[in-house]
Amino acid sequence: MRSIIPVFTALIKGWLRTKTGIFFSFLFPLMLLLLFGTIFGGTGTQKYTLFIQNFDLEDGKQTELSEAFINALESTNIFEIRKLDPEIDINTYVKENPSFEYNYRILKIPKGFEKKLYEKSMTIRLNIILSTFSDFEKYSGSMNPDDLKAMREGKEKLTQLMENLPASESVELIFLAEENDMSAMAVEGIIESVINAFNNRLIGVEEQAMTITAEPLAEKNMTPGDYYLPGYIAAFIMTNGVIGATATISELRRNGTVKRLAATPLSKSSWILSNILQQTTLAFMLTAVMVIFGWIIFDVHALPNIYAILLIFMGAVTFSSIGMILGGVIKDVEAASGAGNAIAFPMMFLSGAFWPIEMMPGYLQTIAKFLPLYYFHEGLRSIMIMDNPSGASLSFLIMGVLAVVFIVIATKVTRWKEL
Amino acid sequence: MSEKVIEVQDLVKVYKDVTAVDKISFDVYQGEIFSLVGPNGAGKTTTVEILECLRNPTEGDAKVLGFDVRKDEKEIKKRIGVMPQEFNAFERLTVKENVELIAKIYGVKPDIENILRELGVWEAKNRQFHKLSGGMQRRVGICMALASDPELLFLDEPTTGLDPQARKETWEVIRTLKKMGKTVFLTSHYMEEVERLCDRAGVMVKGKLIATDKIRNLISKYGGGIKVSVEGRNIEKAEKMLKSFTEKVLHEKNTVIGKFKTREEASKALAQLYQLSDGYKIEITEGGMDDVFSQLTGGRVDDRGELI
Repeated sequence: MRSIIPVFTALIKGWLRTKTGIFFSFLFPLMLLLLFGTIFGGTGTQKYTLFIQNFDLEDGKQTELSEAFINALESTNIFEIRKLDPEIDINTYVKENPSFEYNYRILKIPKGFEKKLYEKSMTIRLNIILSTFSDFEKYSGSMNPDDLKAMREGKEKLTQLMENLPASESVELIFLAEENDMSAMAVEGIIESVINAFNNRLIGVEEQAMTITAEPLAEKNMTPGDYYLPGYIAAFIMTNGVIGATATISELRRNGTVKRLAATPLSKSSWILSNILQQTTLAFMLTAVMVIFGWIIFDVHALPNIYAILLIFMGAVTFSSIGMILGGVIKDVEAASGAGNAIAFPMMFLSGAFWPIEMMPGYLQTIAKFLPLYYFHEGLRSIMIMDNPSGASLSFLIMGVLAVVFIVIATKVTRWKEL
Repeated sequence: MSEKVIEVQDLVKVYKDVTAVDKISFDVYQGEIFSLVGPNGAGKTTTVEILECLRNPTEGDAKVLGFDVRKDEKEIKKRIGVMPQEFNAFERLTVKENVELIAKIYGVKPDIENILRELGVWEAKNRQFHKLSGGMQRRVGICMALASDPELLFLDEPTTGLDPQARKETWEVIRTLKKMGKTVFLTSHYMEEVERLCDRAGVMVKGKLIATDKIRNLISKYGGGIKVSVEGRNIEKAEKMLKSFTEKVLHEKNTVIGKFKTREEASKALAQLYQLSDGYKIEITEGGMDDVFSQLTGGRVDDRGELI
């Protein structure tokens, strides 16, 4: 057992001095993290550009109400609002500014916006009062006769007032967007909800009967990068073990280093443990690099806690044992690497480490649930994102059992004699 | 004779359908350089690896330093130094780191500087193993085998693949080991190497050990004796004279060759030959391990170790 540390040190040093090893263990995963992170995650919250052309001017200034509406749109924090001079003819502007074409979403606020809104909302309010009086009349049985009389007089006066008001019409905003703009519908939806809220305020509804609040999945403030990081960590610990350990072991076997060590008092179990210790160290180094990288580039907040570290340890043992089995059984280096790739790559993509498993067809989802990586990254996600280690108990159970099973198989198939 | 460090009795190793080692018996004595010599596939490495506890024997007995290879694997491994065939170390570790690693595995603290200096690799101590020449790599291999200060070293084909210069340097290193008091067990397919380097050898072909003895004895028994060839005019006189000492005389054009079993017989004939010298050109050749091998097997071993 005292030999484990020296052999482990030799393996680590050997690895650190191999440029291809470092590339495939660290740089390659980082490149993929950058690539996938940019494609799926995006860097922070997306803002939509919205051009507003306000025709509702009074002495060259925006009317109070149209300005309030624009402020309401801005307060959603979803739009990056740019104002377009009402003098501009939009068709000409698009032609003159080619770059503008790609995201031209224009909201036109018509002339008379403020005036019409006041009139219309007045009419609506009066209508509401009238219809409320009518409702009261229907259920007037319990009402004091004096009150009823006063209410009927009021209703008559209001009806007279209504008749004197000019006929009001709704304000029509115009939203222009390009046909192929996939986000236009989302933008339109958001504008509509702002309009609804605005309408409610105008008719004096301050209190809302029904509300919806969007809350993040966990207590922490998460970015899309947070969601993907545990998946990447899990996937690359897997590839390091299944591809990296396989290649290392079969090469050391081919070139006779294993035979040299077997001829010393070093025991087979010490050899296996040294290799697993090396892979585990690499796994933690990789985790650290990914977390730091994710923090710098994607503003990721997830940090592995003690549970995550335990699960990472189990994953590293499981997958490096698989590597030791492949490298121990298959003598030809090329064939061993091929087998490692053939196992690692499908597992990487099928397990849902890189994208939500729900995106895949049903039968692939079933396959995923037979893959150790699935339980590894699901567990890691549950711990690192949901902050819910108990949600990872199935992962702990499965990874724990697999770690033991594979380490036993690795011990059985690793030859220390008849090499 | 000194103490036996290796005792092999009726050793057999069978792989699936091939008998790699076929009932061989031999002993190796303390302080000597012993070699198993023969072509590739003769069973030399299999034998060595059984003695190193890297393979299990199928039948027979083998004792190394008094320990049974079947039962006392740990005791044997602790006490021997090994350089396997086509030996390799951790490629990206330096010379010194590789030797230190082996020392740590044995749990010993040798004077590494001394070992490296003794074998001439001290200058290269900080170079990575894979950057060394073949000859240097073998030396490092021997340093690693020496790290635990073993009394017995196994060097499997220590000079195979080396150029003649590096081979000779490796011989010097192996002689140094003998001077240090180590017993060296090596394998080789180079007859010249065995003849120059070893005290005793066992000739092995197709799993069988055909002869084991001191090199001197092997040559005098199977080396084909001593050839005296005489070239010149009036060659008949010399022929007549040689025939009075030995029956084996060949006459080709202006050359006569006489074959003698022993040095003594040859020297008597030579004395007379020099007396009647008539401007003869005389050449004396003694047989070597090459002749021993061809005498024993009817074949020869080429540079790559193949039987021809």
